Amino acid sequence: MELVGFLIVFPLVIAVILSFVRSDTARTYLVIIPAVIIAAASIALYVIYGSQGSTYFTFSSTIVDIVCIIVSIAIGAIILVYGFRYKRILPIVLGAVQLIGSLIFDFAFGHGIDVSRSLYVDGLSLLMVLIIGIVGSGICVYALGYMQDFQAHEPNDAPDRRPIFFALMFLFLSAMYIIVLSDNMTWMFAGWEITTLCSFLLIGYTKTEEAIDNAFRQINMNLLGGIAFLVALYVCAIGFETLSFKDFLEIGSSRPNLVIMPVIALSIAGITKAAQMPFHTWLLGAMVAPTPTSALLHSSTMVKAGVFLLVKLAPIFVVCPIASTLVVLVGGLTFMLCSFMAISQTNAKRVLAYSTIANLGLITACAGVGTPEAVWAAMLLILFHAIAKSLLFLCVGTAEHHIGSRDIEDMDQLFQRMPKLSRFMMLGIMCMFIAPFGMLIAKWGALVALIDMHQAVLLILLAFGSAATFMFWAKWLGKLAGIAGTQENIEGSVFVSEWVSIGLMAVLIALCCLCLPLISIYMVDPYIVSSYAYAGISDGMVSSAFDGTIDVDDLWLASIACVFAFIVMFAGLGRTKSRQVGVYLAGISADNANRVFRDSLSGETIATARNWYMTEAFNEDRLSWLGTVVCIILEAAFFIVGCVTLGIF
Amino acid sequence: MSIVYALIGTLVFAILGPVIGCLLSGLDRKISARMQGRVGPPLLQPYYDVRKLLGKERVSVNTAESAYVIAALVFALLAGGIFFSGGNLLMCVFVITLSSLFFIVAAYSSRSPYAEIGAHRETLQVMSYEPMIILMTVVFYQASGSFDVSNLFNIPIPIIGCTWLAFIGLLFVLTIKLRKSPFDLSMSHHAHQEIVRGMTTEMSGPTLAKIEIMHWCETVLFLGWVGMFFIWLNPLSLVLAIVVAVLVYFLEIWIDNNFARTKWQALLGSAWFIALVCGGLNVIVLMFV
Repeated sequence: MELVGFLIVFPLVIAVILSFVRSDTARTYLVIIPAVIIAAASIALYVIYGSQGSTYFTFSSTIVDIVCIIVSIAIGAIILVYGFRYKRILPIVLGAVQLIGSLIFDFAFGHGIDVSRSLYVDGLSLLMVLIIGIVGSGICVYALGYMQDFQAHEPNDAPDRRPIFFALMFLFLSAMYIIVLSDNMTWMFAGWEITTLCSFLLIGYTKTEEAIDNAFRQINMNLLGGIAFLVALYVCAIGFETLSFKDFLEIGSSRPNLVIMPVIALSIAGITKAAQMPFHTWLLGAMVAPTPTSALLHSSTMVKAGVFLLVKLAPIFVVCPIASTLVVLVGGLTFMLCSFMAISQTNAKRVLAYSTIANLGLITACAGVGTPEAVWAAMLLILFHAIAKSLLFLCVGTAEHHIGSRDIEDMDQLFQRMPKLSRFMMLGIMCMFIAPFGMLIAKWGALVALIDMHQAVLLILLAFGSAATFMFWAKWLGKLAGIAGTQENIEGSVFVSEWVSIGLMAVLIALCCLCLPLISIYMVDPYIVSSYAYAGISDGMVSSAFDGTIDVDDLWLASIACVFAFIVMFAGLGRTKSRQVGVYLAGISADNANRVFRDSLSGETIATARNWYMTEAFNEDRLSWLGTVVCIILEAAFFIVGCVTLGIF
Repeated sequence: MSIVYALIGTLVFAILGPVIGCLLSGLDRKISARMQGRVGPPLLQPYYDVRKLLGKERVSVNTAESAYVIAALVFALLAGGIFFSGGNLLMCVFVITLSSLFFIVAAYSSRSPYAEIGAHRETLQVMSYEPMIILMTVVFYQASGSFDVSNLFNIPIPIIGCTWLAFIGLLFVLTIKLRKSPFDLSMSHHAHQEIVRGMTTEMSGPTLAKIEIMHWCETVLFLGWVGMFFIWLNPLSLVLAIVVAVLVYFLEIWIDNNFARTKWQALLGSAWFIALVCGGLNVIVLMFV
């Protein structure tokens, strides 16, 4: 249990120290060493508790309760201050509602309820701990080099606000640990709000007008989600007189009719944080922030808190069709529409953002289905998405600083200009969308779960969405792969810290792909068995339902295929003894290497080819409008239904 | 054990696949010639072509292309191995998609303007047929109770009875997968409707031979998908499956020779429409009726 406390408190302490450190050297040590310690502690926690299903620690503390109250007041106050400073009405209103709501809750309702076992670990939280601890701190290390470049690109008189930046990154990690390790819902809520505030400050880091606008969009949406969370807290405290998440899950899975309202409220909280439609615009806006922020938000923190909550609720969704329908429909629609929209994007970071939202949609839909197979798929999707997406963000960030653009068209021939980096990027891309790499195997699990649960609509959404996924990743991959033989290698100036983090993510991907069967057997299955055990579903049912999903032999076959693909990517390319010649230009070439040919006026023209973006067929505005309208109607309708059920039952 | 079967199956398929595919390809050229009022080449002409290609000097525009093509070929063989050893159909679909991805990347890597246009179009073709293929596997699972192809030999009646809608959908996208006209946007074997040679513009000698062999294997695999709809516990059903597969192949050749290449909008629109109607409807019917 000490280790759990350490994981929450240690990043907090480092955050406080980092906010005062102005020297580059000192900061380097103060980031690298704690990052290693956090990663090691996360692994240690897994080693100690990984083999046990779930462990609840008897721990309750009035001091922590008071701290949580202070935190919520502080967050409310900070939001109000920013709201007044930039004259934004909506955040002031929402911030005030939330502040007053949480104060009334803390003093009038939550006060008397004691949660005796406030901290816990189980398979899902351990998976999250590993992701936060290894991927999250890897991103912090990467930020060292990146932010040095970033500061150098800023105007000379720009203030150096990097201490605050790094402090926020570590605060973020701490808040994530609170969310995944506490069973006390008020503590969880405090962590939830800290992540909202941290991402608000990180998105607005550059303080440009665009950054401020997008930061406020983020805070508006997530405050709405926070208020939904608060509604659930009220219902739990008044209706069930408990604030333990475990108790709530037990009540919910045995008497689902009673919990429709709080489950819908929590689902909406999860949906906002996981940037599902109509709230997807905040994550797109978050792209203005420095790349490590995007990497952190997209891969290991923030959005993962949203899907974490939804996956935790899965045992209730499986017996509560109303809430399940909402989550499944919103997730499925988001998956398909965002995959479509990604096709029309040329900006690499926007493609990544849409793909994140789409994958979160898939995880959301799986959580909503709620069967053991679906949860299996959701957990593996969380894992592989976290690693692959952070690898991609780190690569795009480094490429951006070296080629001066984040446009995919400008990444033409990156294979030559940055040979190592582009291979890592290609690895990340392939891991995102194609078998035998992890993501697609997880998608396979999702497919089986959907068939068994008779989710025909979702199956069709999945089929079309997956096809679109192929399109936008494959054309990016192709752009990277181009080789012409005249480009200079510009990789020399990449920081060592950046290489270390990128290498770490690549190794993690390789390990996870190769050891997928082991991860399934030793990490994911135990959680599923334990979390469905108390949900009134017997062990026998879980395992018999589970055998049908995917044969372990098929998983090993996928591993073998992965090995071959890795060998081709990292050892096979560029090793051939064939004679090299120029490309064919219809016999009228002037300079073959640069694709220059003699045109009909005897001048010289370069043959250029842009990728297909098909903006007519996959129009971003139209699709976004469609998704927003449909999802708002869905969410509002189900929220009202939830309120009605509160009156009935 | 299925992993051992799959690997043995791959080895066997690596020999039998190209042989059968080569004969089919020879048949294709023969029949096409007759449809066009020509005598046509000997049945083994595709074999002679590939043998000659394999003996040519290795020339390429870059150092990566041949590695990508080898990967594409190996994964195509693996997909065939998985399918014909009775393995998991979904896995087979995934692996053959991986193979087409490597082929696309090989075309992109050459940076030839012609090959690049071919690669764009091939990506679009994959996107067009993918929904129908995924829905076909779903229907297969619903009808036979398992993703395992070997399970077909345990069912009392062939699945075609309740999956004929998806079967029609498969026939439609088969034309795209086999790159037959009117859906041969990425690379066509009809010289009159192609800009140079599409994806394979820069591939020559042994590399082109591998592409050719891969294409043979793919043909055999896809006809296997057609045949599986007609298998049940009676071993004689294998004969029926082969007859149907051959008839379907003849149909594809007929389509190939009677339609001119279409635009990409028509390709994407029609393929997705078919997937939605044939695939989607079949899934819903099997789920709820």
